[in-house]
Amino acid sequence: MKADKRHPITKAECPFGFRWPVAASLVTAFLLLTGCDGIQAALTPNSPGAERIAEIAWILFIGAAVIFIAVMALTLYAMIARPGRGGWIGSGALIIGGGLIFPVVTLSALLIYTLDAAGVMTAPAEGNPLRIEVIGHMWWWEVRYLDEDGNVAFVSANEVRVPVGRPVTAAVSTADVIHSFWVPNLAGKIDMIPGRVNDVTFQAEEPGTFRGQCAEYCGAQHAKMAFFVVAEEPERFARWFEHQSGPAREPQTPFITRGRDLFLSSGCGACHTVRGTPAAGRIGPDLTHVGSRVSIAAGILDNHIGTLEAWIANSQRIKPENRMPSFDVFEGEDLRAIAAYLESLK
Amino acid sequence: MKRTLIILAVLIALFGAGAFTLAWSGIYNVAASTGHLAVTRWFLEFGMRNSVETHALGIEVPPLDDPSLFYRGLGHYQGGCAPCHGAPGEGRNPITRQMLPPPPYLANTIEHWSAAELFWIVKHGIKYAGMPAWVAQQRDDEVWAVVAFLQRLPEMEPEEYRRVSESQATSQIEGTPEERARLLAVAGSAGESLVACARCHGLRGAGGGEGGFPRLAGQSFEYLQHALESYAVGSRPSGIMQPVAAELSEAERRNIAEYYAGIEDAPYPPKPQVADRETLQQGAALVANGAPEQGVPACVTCHGPSAAVAPDPVYPSLVGQYAEYIALQLELWRSGKRGGGSYSEIMATIAEQLTDEQIRAVSLYYASLRPGEAPQAAAESLGERLDAPSVVPDDRN
Ligand code: HEC
Ligand code: HEC
Ligand code: HEC
Ligand code: HEC
Ligand SMILES: [Cu+2]
Repeated sequence: MKADKRHPITKAECPFGFRWPVAASLVTAFLLLTGCDGIQAALTPNSPGAERIAEIAWILFIGAAVIFIAVMALTLYAMIARPGRGGWIGSGALIIGGGLIFPVVTLSALLIYTLDAAGVMTAPAEGNPLRIEVIGHMWWWEVRYLDEDGNVAFVSANEVRVPVGRPVTAAVSTADVIHSFWVPNLAGKIDMIPGRVNDVTFQAEEPGTFRGQCAEYCGAQHAKMAFFVVAEEPERFARWFEHQSGPAREPQTPFITRGRDLFLSSGCGACHTVRGTPAAGRIGPDLTHVGSRVSIAAGILDNHIGTLEAWIANSQRIKPENRMPSFDVFEGEDLRAIAAYLESLK
Repeated sequence: MKRTLIILAVLIALFGAGAFTLAWSGIYNVAASTGHLAVTRWFLEFGMRNSVETHALGIEVPPLDDPSLFYRGLGHYQGGCAPCHGAPGEGRNPITRQMLPPPPYLANTIEHWSAAELFWIVKHGIKYAGMPAWVAQQRDDEVWAVVAFLQRLPEMEPEEYRRVSESQATSQIEGTPEERARLLAVAGSAGESLVACARCHGLRGAGGGEGGFPRLAGQSFEYLQHALESYAVGSRPSGIMQPVAAELSEAERRNIAEYYAGIEDAPYPPKPQVADRETLQQGAALVANGAPEQGVPACVTCHGPSAAVAPDPVYPSLVGQYAEYIALQLELWRSGKRGGGSYSEIMATIAEQLTDEQIRAVSLYYASLRPGEAPQAAAESLGERLDAPSVVPDDRN
């Protein structure tokens, strides 16, 4: 190829033109960033730990962008510089300074900086943290709240409620395979490893609802293993804590009573606990106050009578291979009664 | 070369036209009464034998010495095969003997076949011969049960055949002819069809055949009716029960279900001898607590004994059921062959999680239980699940 001296690379030889790649990457980056805004987003942090993570992300992103642009500029210069002009790019000083000293210094500094941030997140919380235990199951989350003495006050599932402004220490573990507990708005990922208990600490700054997701592939329904974190004012949280510690609400109407009786006679209690009734199973989520939760089936369905009915009759179709059988055996009225009973368990 | 080809083509066309004309004219005699020419008979027999041999290649024979297999095979043979093939000491049916080819008296021919070949014949039947295929193609276990019986058939004297076929269920339960008559009278409108069931399940529904036939006494009306419905419509595949249930009208099914559900004094077989203490304890723990780490719930909630809340009557009782039968059903679920409609789906999800060892333990345990005899072991382990221990070791709390 014989290049024109004044126009070393012509438009025709560079099929995408000069401007398109730049424009395209800017648009893509923008779109990606807008996706990072919301209830499951590392870039809208709501806890000191998550803020550190977001900070690291920005520093890395901006730093990498600056270095990338500098390197590209040098490359471009090397290509279009008149012969004999760009020799300094190959000088020993630049190679040793830019290729060796700069990376060593930058990477070491980054390492120290990130290790420090990680230390902040796993360090035992100061003050009087709320302590919870989260246990990963295929494919849902068991959440236990400990009282001041470290005993289990009550068990819940698929939802973590925390008071704002108070640190929370979650001891995470697993009942089966490796899962990973991840609420991007509040904390980094922490793996749930068989035979181990890992701690993660976070503190919600503002009230709000955030979404968490299992971040380690754990089988067929890994993608449908999510949960919600609800951060609320301390007084509200205290009232909630108090209420959750109590037994399930007694049925108030004949229809709901019928629902409870069907729930018990159908054997739901073999897998589910409803405190205050003979149902004491431990295979599935504790349902004592299931009606008060944001979602069911590990964050994948809204929680109301319709979705409860759908789940009971079709759990294997909604979430194939999960451990709950489909109970496609009820007449319409009976199904509605069971769902109404569960909904009433606020 | 080209000429030869043309001649050949013309010959083939002529032959085809001839055959068609023969069939069309109606000259060929399809009468069974006239039999086959000796050469035709030889040729058909030759073709059948080789076809069976070839198709049976590669079939693996499972262990067939379990007595429950023998009895289940025998039970079905009496109703499903003997009308065509006869049985030791029983006159053969003159009508089916006029089929062409006539169904052979099997005691004389069994020795020519290997177990795999018998399996293949019974499962697939024989074309152009009137030998039917097995009703539930997915139930290889039932076909093997028939094979287990067939292999013992040649050595069976009429005396012995009568003795085993009577002892399988009936004699241990019914006692005297007067008592039989009384039971049949109690059955009322179910009485007539009941005679057929009693052959395998006994007049009092105690089951038998060393576990080949399940116990029906102790089941609710709802469950029995549901099971019979499922067999009759074919949603619960069984080459043994489907034909029996499908023959009954809906009213008959209801009457029989009512009759068996009402029986309270059906005797129990001796408790299984093979069960050691450890196995029974493992079974008891599984029934009382399940195996939460495996996702297996406590069976007691849905199957008793003495569940805290009475389970839905459509859920079967397992107390005192034969271990062989329990294990068989659980294995059928694990291999996706149990069927039985929506209720069965509930159990399918649970059975999938069980290991071989757990199936054995839980089957033997239930088979050793008797109503009202609260098992110590189950009660002891019940306390465990009530307190949910914190996962964090003490020193960290
Ligand atoms: C064999 C065990 C088993 C039985 C029996 C069972 N469940 Fe479940 N159930 C589970 C499991 C496991 C889950 C969690 C599924 C998942 O999300 O992966 C679950 C989830 C649920 C949920 C969603 C809870 C939440 O917070 O997300 C509801 C509601 C529920 N079951 C209701 C019932 C009802 C009603 C019955 C009886 C008709 C029943 N279950 C019987 C095992 C069982
Ligand atoms: C409707 C009548 C009929 C019924 C019912 C029937 N068979 Fe047959 N079976 C036949 C006929 C006819 C043949 C002969 C086929 C041939 O010779 O080609 C045969 C052949 C056989 C053979 C091969 C025998 C031989 O040596 O050629 C076996 C084995 C057999 N049947 C087993 C059974 C069993 C077991 C059952 C019951 C599950 C059964 N059959 C039910 C009609 C019947
Ligand atoms: C040839 C023997 C035989 C006869 C006759 C027979 N059964 Fe059965 N029955 C069985 C066998 C074998 C099974 C187990 C089938 C399976 O694996 O699904 C069974 C299963 C059943 C079941 C299901 C039991 C359970 O716990 O799920 C019911 C109900 C039943 N039989 C009722 C009847 C009735 C009613 C009759 C009479 C109309 C009858 N049986 C006749 C052999 C027989
Ligand atoms: C949530 C309720 C439930 C639990 C818990 C449960 N089962 Fe079942 N089981 C059923 C239902 C419903 C059926 C009836 C299926 C049908 O009608 O086809 C059944 C049927 C059975 C049968 C077949 C009985 C027969 O007569 O054919 C066996 C065996 C069985 N279960 C064993 C077990 C064992 C062992 C456990 C404990 C590990 C267990 N089940 C736990 C609901 C349950
Ligand atoms: Cu996962």
